[in-house]
Amino acid sequence: MSELDALVERARTLDKGSVARLISLFEDRRPEAVRDRVRVLELLDAEGADRRCAVLGITGTPGSGKSTLVSALTGRMLAERDDLSIAVVAVDPSSHVSGGSLLGDRTRMRFVPDERRLFFRSQASETDLGGLGPSSFQVCRLLSRLFDCVIIETVGIGQSEADIRHLADRVYLVLQPLGGDEVQFLKAGIIEVPHVFVLNKSDEPSSETSYHQLRSSMWLARPFDDEPPPIHRTSATTGAGLEELAGDLLTTIDSATGCSLTEREPYFFERWVDDEWGRVGTRVLVDELGGAAAYLSACDGYDRAQLDFGDRVRASLS
Amino acid sequence: MRAFGELWDEYTRDRFGVKDEKYRRFRYGVQVNSLGLTESQPENNAWRILIEALGVTLSRDARARAIQLPAWNEALSLPRPWDQQWSLRLQQILAYETDLLEYPDLFEGSVVVRSKVDELKAQAREEIEKILGMGGVIPAIESGYLKSALVRSMSERMSAINTGEQIVVGLNKWTDGLPSPLLGGEDGGIFTLDESAARDAIESLERTRADRDPQRVEAALEALKAAARDGSSMMEPSIECALARVTTGEWAGALREVFGEYRPATGVEGQQLGLSGDRVDALRDRIAKLADRLGHRPRIVVGKPGLDGHSNGAEVIAVSARHVGFDVIYSGIRLSPDEIVQSAVEEDADVIGASVLSGSHLELAQQIMDRLAEYGAAERIAVVFGGIIPKGDFDKLAAIGVRRVFTPSDYELIDIMESIVGLLESNAAA
Repeated sequence: MSELDALVERARTLDKGSVARLISLFEDRRPEAVRDRVRVLELLDAEGADRRCAVLGITGTPGSGKSTLVSALTGRMLAERDDLSIAVVAVDPSSHVSGGSLLGDRTRMRFVPDERRLFFRSQASETDLGGLGPSSFQVCRLLSRLFDCVIIETVGIGQSEADIRHLADRVYLVLQPLGGDEVQFLKAGIIEVPHVFVLNKSDEPSSETSYHQLRSSMWLARPFDDEPPPIHRTSATTGAGLEELAGDLLTTIDSATGCSLTEREPYFFERWVDDEWGRVGTRVLVDELGGAAAYLSACDGYDRAQLDFGDRVRASLS
Repeated sequence: MRAFGELWDEYTRDRFGVKDEKYRRFRYGVQVNSLGLTESQPENNAWRILIEALGVTLSRDARARAIQLPAWNEALSLPRPWDQQWSLRLQQILAYETDLLEYPDLFEGSVVVRSKVDELKAQAREEIEKILGMGGVIPAIESGYLKSALVRSMSERMSAINTGEQIVVGLNKWTDGLPSPLLGGEDGGIFTLDESAARDAIESLERTRADRDPQRVEAALEALKAAARDGSSMMEPSIECALARVTTGEWAGALREVFGEYRPATGVEGQQLGLSGDRVDALRDRIAKLADRLGHRPRIVVGKPGLDGHSNGAEVIAVSARHVGFDVIYSGIRLSPDEIVQSAVEEDADVIGASVLSGSHLELAQQIMDRLAEYGAAERIAVVFGGIIPKGDFDKLAAIGVRRVFTPSDYELIDIMESIVGLLESNAAA
């Protein structure tokens, strides 16, 4: 058995070191990593045809208490379901000056010794502003094959939190009781993204007003809804509303289908082309290859499409 | 402290309505800080301590009721009994050999002191108003505002020392000197932990547990938890806990069960370091090249194992590492070696930087290396240590598997970062 095959075997048991190293492989931007990824997915798919996984997005403004909420929710969910496993990927912004980052979301997570059913990984957004990192999709492809649920936690600070919609089956927007400015901010588009609203810190006095403001702005901001989206009121301090919200997450997990994220590949392929090849790449993809969806189905899978794409660009330029 | 005393008087009178002047008098004791003490030329610390002591004793209107002075060698180790005695003698000389205590306030009427006090008070008031605007000190703690201000101040101080803007004698100026005779002697002028002390403590704990009435212990803990849950006073049940000889660990554990564990804001987010120039640029280039070779930007987990709360070192290292281009995972202080290692394993970190000032670096290094080995990650994740670590322990740490050790004499942040990057480069090449 090759070293990589052995690593995949151990990762199946959710051994932390092995899962962590595979994640690094799926974050690796060197071209040679693609071949290893193909192998890993082959191995995982060979014995996991009936696997199901839900990808849940949790986004919200800085200070809304996302991380504490994720910590409390995962704790409840794991306590309620003995056989459930959850991976959390928390994305934080990188410095534009040094390229480095401070990944601080772990701070809020409870430490459970030797608990394999809960895995936590931080990720830097790198060049991307606040939303997903360039390898978030790749990492989800891996984790969705190992865990029952992948939670992506992102900082929503503007346009970029819309990204999460392309990756997650269900998006939860966490808000804290609002001031006047933040109501303006809501109108700026963020309100259209989530499937579920979470009004956190509901023990604060201004929470009641915020709830009604939010409720009443829904029909105006989201004319596309048949039913208004649920608004959960939670407090990590008192524990209020956590059970209902955890219930919503569990229901989503129960209704999950498949785990390969295939239908999300075209969008993230376009992004990858833009990241790696810029406008030239995008032009080749659209004009010569008929767009991401057509090119992906012509190639043998996402990874081979990435491997071959360099040749396509070079052929087009020569 | 003059400014503080006056502000205290004004706030207790105007905000809290304390009418009797006697009850508004600010009585305080002070533990003079050891931030300014240096590891290099440690004899100079004696003068620093004297000057700090004068600061809280000279002026009668703002005089501390009790002082606890640090020892000359606190940047090298915990103080020995003799070191503490030397600091105590300074207080006794001040009290009994001088006539300091016989006069009214010496600064009364000084124009310079008055203007300094007024300036400080104005700045403090501005800050207090700002915090009140946030809803008071508790929201300011929870939002991380206070901690950020502390980390910013420390980062600015370190940057100023690194650039030479702030002079620290014997550290970044007049660094040549004769060897210090204080560091001679069999123990090298430092305190070494008696290994039997930990054993004795554990034995005494076990004896206590064996001798007490377990039913009474359990009932006391249940009563404590019940009080914590329903919000009634925890004092009575706590007293019963003490009488039942519940350990502090059990007592705190019961409260953790009810309240959970508080993780304070780390204060490191959004901090800038005032360091730039060729060396920073060169190091960022090296990190970019290293990232190409590794397939990812190098990741460092900065951790502070143990209960000691001196967080400056860990914070400045976290801020510096991000400044030069690391992805930094920092979860604050008071973590167990288990938590730090699990973070490093899950994050697939390249290096753990552990900060230890409590003197227990050997034990903690061993625990970290053992846990890493259990995860099969001891080869993959390098471990470096920083803190108050005597030179005599460097070889022992190396034998345990620690790859680099940094002490207060390594005050140049960019030197430390270059050393860690160098270590990762040689690992990547191997």
